[in-house]
Amino acid sequence: MKLENAVDEQLQIAAAQRDPAEFAELYENNFARIYAFIARRVPSRQDAEDLTGEVFHEALRTLARFEWQGAPFAAWLLGIASHRLAERWRRAGKRPEVAENDWDETGVDARTEENLILFQLVDELPPDQRLVICRRFIDQKSLKEIAQELQRSEGAIKQLQFRALQNLRSRMRSRYV
Amino acid sequence: MSDQQSDRQTVDQLDAGIQALLLEKDTGLLPSNPAVAELLAVAVELRTLPRASFKADLQAALLGETPSNAYSAAATGTHGLSQQALSHRGLPQRIADPARVASLSSDLLPTVAVPEHSLYPVQRSSFMTSLAAHALILALLITSGIWAAPSFHEKTRVSSSVVLDIGSYVLPPATDRAGGGGGGGDSDVLQASKGSPPRFAREQITPPAIVVRNEDPKLEVEPTVVGPPALSFPQTSQMGDPFAHITGPPSNGAGTNGGIGSGAQGGVGMGNGPGVGDGWGGGIGRGLYRAGGGVSAPRPIYDPEPDYSEEARKAKYQGSVVLQIVVGADGLPKDMRIARSLGMGLDEKALEAVRQWRFEPGTLNGHAVPVVVNVEVNFRLY
Repeated sequence: MKLENAVDEQLQIAAAQRDPAEFAELYENNFARIYAFIARRVPSRQDAEDLTGEVFHEALRTLARFEWQGAPFAAWLLGIASHRLAERWRRAGKRPEVAENDWDETGVDARTEENLILFQLVDELPPDQRLVICRRFIDQKSLKEIAQELQRSEGAIKQLQFRALQNLRSRMRSRYV
Repeated sequence: MSDQQSDRQTVDQLDAGIQALLLEKDTGLLPSNPAVAELLAVAVELRTLPRASFKADLQAALLGETPSNAYSAAATGTHGLSQQALSHRGLPQRIADPARVASLSSDLLPTVAVPEHSLYPVQRSSFMTSLAAHALILALLITSGIWAAPSFHEKTRVSSSVVLDIGSYVLPPATDRAGGGGGGGDSDVLQASKGSPPRFAREQITPPAIVVRNEDPKLEVEPTVVGPPALSFPQTSQMGDPFAHITGPPSNGAGTNGGIGSGAQGGVGMGNGPGVGDGWGGGIGRGLYRAGGGVSAPRPIYDPEPDYSEEARKAKYQGSVVLQIVVGADGLPKDMRIARSLGMGLDEKALEAVRQWRFEPGTLNGHAVPVVVNVEVNFRLY
């Protein structure tokens, strides 16, 4: 984290501690990473959304107790997320599969970064491909339903889905090569 | 196989894999086509692709919170999630219903009743232990005024005294009888002879006499005794003391200051006054004396103090009870009645104590006579 970014974040935290309405900027800057971190470790989107909501609610509730110690705000949020995940696994009677500190000092871990980039790349797809991906994976619609909505053939939708995934794979590769 | 056919197969294989992935069917088989396997690996991550609206909904839920409703949202666990999200969480429909969710927020202990709703995982055993400990501490605090404070009973002070009636004597109202009495005599050695007293009048100018000492008065006035004029005694031909036991020889009796009998003050009988009979002050009496006018007051010689009633002590109630009693010639209290009540059990306590009193009786001319006295019992807390 660059020094000026750290200073900005410190100021944002101080502002949010004075006025919770100022939490919006911290939320905007950290939402994607926290969601991606959780999404890699839970089986469904609903679980990911629930836990993400809980993390940010707890963060907002306990923000007054946060003390800046030089680490990024994301690291603190990831700590809360990690506890939440561990609790969830413990309640489910399963062995926690999340190590509490599997991220580096900047709040980044490799698996989370992959998810984070993948979700960002979906937004960069051509509109028709992005729409098909969203309908298929978020709304869980069948090819037939998507075809009816877009007034195209099932084969065309199948092709759009294929090309979208190819696009995502190639763009992911380009990020890491 | 042409490239076109190969691509179509790849697309179909990919879609079949995605379909199985979305339906969470584990075929256990890896796609033979490496290209499909790579694309499916991407598709696996897309299963948790965030909804576009989720981020905005959560932000709205976060920033719309105030400190008070933050708990509510956290307690119900909704976090601004959609109805769909709620139902996907497997919550019962009654909980997933938004109206129900809103009402749940005001329910008692939702985090215990519905574990899914807790912000933190609540272990019921720990919670109940904590609740019991808090309840115990609260109970101890509430009752500490009873057990922690030094045992303190208000000290009571009860004092009693005989109160003499020193007011002017007033005849009690009565239609056929009046209290009081009188007596007299002229220090004769003989007892007064039996007869009827003179008529009653409001005032007495000349006391009655059986033996007239002044045969030639300058102004003759009819002798009377004091009392309501309506009072009358059965008249006989002979004036005398109606309570006397002998009819003759005629005598005014051994009393003093005029009149007839063994008393004093110009009346008839053994009393002390211008009336008739035993008693004091006028009218007809035969019994009780009041202190004064030659009658000495009874003096308590054994006067245990009454106890304070528990009811009055708790109510911090204090005051005075006045008892009117007759101290008999034997020194025992009799005919006790409450002249001024206090209540809260103090009247009974006063009666109970005074009943045990013993007196040196009042006397008239050296003889013990029954005397009416008031006893004031003061109950005080300090």
